[in-house]
Amino acid sequence: MKQIVELIINGDSHDVIVEEHRSLLDTLREEAGLTGTKKGCDVGDCGACTVLVDGQPVNACLMLAVEASGKRVETVEGLQSASGALHPLQDAFMRHGASQCGFCTPGILMMARQLLEENPDPTDEEIRFGLSGNICRCTGYTKIFDAIRSAAQEMRTTRETEVTL
Amino acid sequence: MNMPTPNLKNEFRIIGKSVKREDVIEKVTGAGSYVSDLKPVGMLYGKIKRADVAHARIRRIDVSKALAYPGVKAVLTHEDVPRVLHYGSPHPRSASCTKDQFILDNKVRFIGEGVAAVAAISEEIADEALDLIEVDYEELPAVFTPEEAIRPGAPLIHDVGPGGNLVLEPVRVERGDVEKGFAEADFVLEGEFSGGRPVPAYMEPNVCLADWDGSNKLTFWTSTQTAFMVRGILAEVLGLPVNKVRVLVDHMGGGFGAKQDCFQHEFLCALLAKATRRPVRMEFTRRETFIAGRSRHPFKLWLKQGFRNDGTITARDMKIVYDSGAYGSHGPGVTIVGTNSATSLYRCENVRLDGRCVYTNTPIAGAFRGYGVVQTYYALDIQMDEAAERLGVDPADLKRKNAVGEGDIAPSGHPIVGRGLEACIEHGIAGFDWKARRSLDRRPDPSRPHIRKGWGVGCEMHGSSAYPGIKEQGNAVVKVNEDGSITLMTGAAGLGTGAHTALAQIVAEELGVLFESVSVVHGDTDAVPWDIGAFASHTTYLVGSAARIAAGKAHSGVLERASAKANVPVEELMLVDGVIHVTGQPGLTMTVAEAMGPSKGIPAANILGKGTYEPTKSYSFAAHFVEVTVDTGTGLVQVDRVMPVHDVGKVIHPIAAQGQIEGGIQQGIGHTLTEDYVIDTTNGRSLNAGLVDYKMPLSMDMPEIDTVILEAAPDPSGPWGAKGVGEDPIIAIGPAIANAIHDAIGVRFRHYPITPEDILNALKQREDQ
Repeated sequence: MKQIVELIINGDSHDVIVEEHRSLLDTLREEAGLTGTKKGCDVGDCGACTVLVDGQPVNACLMLAVEASGKRVETVEGLQSASGALHPLQDAFMRHGASQCGFCTPGILMMARQLLEENPDPTDEEIRFGLSGNICRCTGYTKIFDAIRSAAQEMRTTRETEVTL
Repeated sequence: MNMPTPNLKNEFRIIGKSVKREDVIEKVTGAGSYVSDLKPVGMLYGKIKRADVAHARIRRIDVSKALAYPGVKAVLTHEDVPRVLHYGSPHPRSASCTKDQFILDNKVRFIGEGVAAVAAISEEIADEALDLIEVDYEELPAVFTPEEAIRPGAPLIHDVGPGGNLVLEPVRVERGDVEKGFAEADFVLEGEFSGGRPVPAYMEPNVCLADWDGSNKLTFWTSTQTAFMVRGILAEVLGLPVNKVRVLVDHMGGGFGAKQDCFQHEFLCALLAKATRRPVRMEFTRRETFIAGRSRHPFKLWLKQGFRNDGTITARDMKIVYDSGAYGSHGPGVTIVGTNSATSLYRCENVRLDGRCVYTNTPIAGAFRGYGVVQTYYALDIQMDEAAERLGVDPADLKRKNAVGEGDIAPSGHPIVGRGLEACIEHGIAGFDWKARRSLDRRPDPSRPHIRKGWGVGCEMHGSSAYPGIKEQGNAVVKVNEDGSITLMTGAAGLGTGAHTALAQIVAEELGVLFESVSVVHGDTDAVPWDIGAFASHTTYLVGSAARIAAGKAHSGVLERASAKANVPVEELMLVDGVIHVTGQPGLTMTVAEAMGPSKGIPAANILGKGTYEPTKSYSFAAHFVEVTVDTGTGLVQVDRVMPVHDVGKVIHPIAAQGQIEGGIQQGIGHTLTEDYVIDTTNGRSLNAGLVDYKMPLSMDMPEIDTVILEAAPDPSGPWGAKGVGEDPIIAIGPAIANAIHDAIGVRFRHYPITPEDILNALKQREDQ
C-alpha cells in the first residue's frame, strides 16, 4: 500500500509517495533525493544513517517513513547555512582530518550536533559515549574527538560573544 | 629506473603542512557522490542468488518463475554469461594473481557464492525473485580448513593450479646455512602461531552501476581501488576494446585493499544492464560484504629460531600456510610477500622459509592492509619477545639490537635505506617512558587483585609499492590553465586517505604555486592517465613522484612562456607562490595568470606536464608501544595507551598521515582482541556476518594514541624522500598487544584474536598445573 507522507526535511516540506514498509533512510535517499545520509548496514548497527527527527537522533534505516510523517527531519544537507556557511562541526571535521573516506561522516556529524545541543561542554568520556553507536573504520576516532572538542569550544565562544553583544 | 633529480631543498612551503583538504567539503556537506547515491532514469536494481551449499555441481537451475514475476526484467545463470576464466585480482598479469574464476560457474565452491543474478524494478522485487529461482545441486564433499584441504585424497576444489588444493607452488626462500646456524645457537625457540579471519569492514558496502549506450559502450561506476584494472578485466571478459569501457569512481567509502578485486557482482551488473538495456545498480547488503567480500587470510605458522646468548639470531626456519578460501584472489601475492617478509625485520643470515596457500570451501580471502605481513610479523615479533624473556633482557633493547637497517637487504632484494626501525624503537623507548613503566612494581593492588597492567612493544617494516611482485608505474598530467590555475589529472583512487590532497601539495610545491590554485581531476578512465590502482602504500610514493615530474615540466613551460613574454632569460626567472620573480631585480614580477594570459591575441598556451615514474621499492618502519589492562576476573583486555612511532621518510600531510596511523591502530586492536569472521568448520556457514556479531573497536574502546611521525630514513625513490604509510600501522600493534598481555599476566599467546575466553582458559590452565 502506498501513501502520501509529508516530511519536513531541513525546514522544507516534502510530500512523498511511499509504501508503508519503506524506511525513512530509503525515502530520504531514493524519493527525496537527499543522498547525504548513507546506508552502511540497513539494520541499525553502524549509525551511518543517523538523522535527527524532532531533535532526537535516530537510525533512519530503523524508522519507517510513515512514522516520520509530519515530523521535523534534519539531515547533513541541512547543517550548512542557507548562505553557504559551514556549521562549526563541518569546519572542524575538515581542519582536524576527522573525515577520511567520509561515509560515516554525515551520521557522526548529526550525532555530534545533537550531543553539543544537549551538552555544549562535553568531557572526552561524554563524547566517546555519545558516538558509541556510530562506526568509523578509517580514523581511529581520535581526529573525530579532536574535531568535536574544537567545534564545541568554538560554538561556546560564539554564544558567549553573542550574549555579550 | 628514472629517479627524479635529488632534492636540495630543505625549506618547504607546502610539503609537510596540514593544508585543509578541499576534497573533504563534499564529505562534510553530504554533497559527495558515492556510487550508491547515483540513480539514473530508468535504473533497475540487481541482486545475486547465493548458494546455500559449500561444494556442489549445479545439475539444473530453473528461473522460469523468477522471470515471470512482475517487475523482473532479466535473470542470468551460468548458461547466459561468457565462460571466460579470469583473474579475481586484476593486477596486470603478475605473479600475484591467479586465473581461477568464471563469472558464474556450473560449480559452487563456498556457501554464499553467486549462482544467478536478477534485475528488477525494485530491490524488494529482485529479492523476491531470488527466492523463486530453483537450483538443483549435486553436493560434493567439502573441506573447510587447510589441514583438511591438503590431506591426501581431499576433494579438489579447482581443476587449475598445481593440484592438491594448492593455490600456487610453495614459495621457498633459502639464504645462508640454516643447519649450521642452529648448530651455532645457544638456545632454540620453536612455536606455532595462528590467526583468524578479520575483514576490512569498510563503511561503504560494495556497489556498482552499469549503463550501456547506443554505441555499445559500457559506462561503469564502481567503488574500486583499481579503476583501470576493472576496465581491463571487464573489457577482456566482455570482449570489448578498453575504450568501450569507461570506469568512474568519485568518492569511495574505504577499501583497505579489499576493493582491489574485480568482483562477481561487477561482471553481473554489467551483463544485467546489457541484457535489459537499462542502467542497473547492484549494492551489497552488509551481510554480503562479509560473505562475498574479502577477508584477511587466516593462517597457521610454525617458527623455529636459534639465538646466541648475546641476542644474535643464528637461524630462522619458518613454515606458513595461508587459507585462501574458495578462490585464489590475492593468495599468491599474499603468500609471496608474507613469506619473503620473514627474511627481514630482525636480522638473520641463515633463513629457510616455506609459504603455502590453500583453497578451502570458505569465503574468499583477499588483499587487506598489511598484505601477508600482519601474519608473519606477528610471529616474528612475539618470538623475539620470548627470546628477550629467556635472555632476561629488555625486549625493546633486543629488538633494537637486531633491527634491520642500512646495509641489510630488504625482502624485495633491495638494500635498506637508513636506520628507520632503530630510530622508531629508540624514540619510543624515550617517549613512552618505557624503561620506567616496565620496571614498575607488578604486585597487584590488594583492593583490585584481578587488575593487571602490562607494557609491550611490537615492530614492523613494510614496503611502499608492490614491486617486485608487480612492476609498477605512476602517471600524472599537470595542466596550467589560462588563468594560472592548475589541474592535476591522476588515475589514483581516493579511498579516503587524503592521497589527492598529498598529490596536489606535491604539484604546488614543485611548480611553485599556491596549494589552493591546484585542483585534482580523478576517477574517470576516459579522462585521466592510466593508473595501476591505489594499494600497497604506494600512491603518494609512486604517483607522487610522477606528479612531481609532471609539475616540474609544467614549471619549465610556465617559465618559458614568461621568458618570451617579458623578454628575460629563463635562467633568471624564479616561480614562488604563483608569482614569477626576476633574479636580482626586486619588484619585477609577473603572476602565472599574467604569463598564461594573451600573447599575440592567443589567451593561453597548451602547457602540459606529463610525468611517468617506475620506482623499485622503499620500506617504512614502525615500533608500537602499548599499555594494557587485563582483568583476570573477566578476561577482558583494555588497551589504555598506544604510542605508534613511524618512519615515513618525508611526511607530506602530517594530519592525514596521523589519521592513517590511528585508523590502522584501531583495526589492529580489533584484529588482536575481538575481530574474527567465523566460519563453521563443520559445514562452511558464516556465523557472524554482521556488524553486531563481528566485534570492532568503537569510540568507547579506543585508547589514548600519541602518534609520532619521524622522518628518520627518507628514501630518494619517493618524492623528497616520502615513503608509504597506509598499511604499516596495522602490523606492529598486534604483537605489541600480545606482548603486553604477557607482560601483564605472564601468559604467552601466539594467535589472534586473543579473546576473554582464551585468557580465562589460559589462567585456569596455569592454576591447575
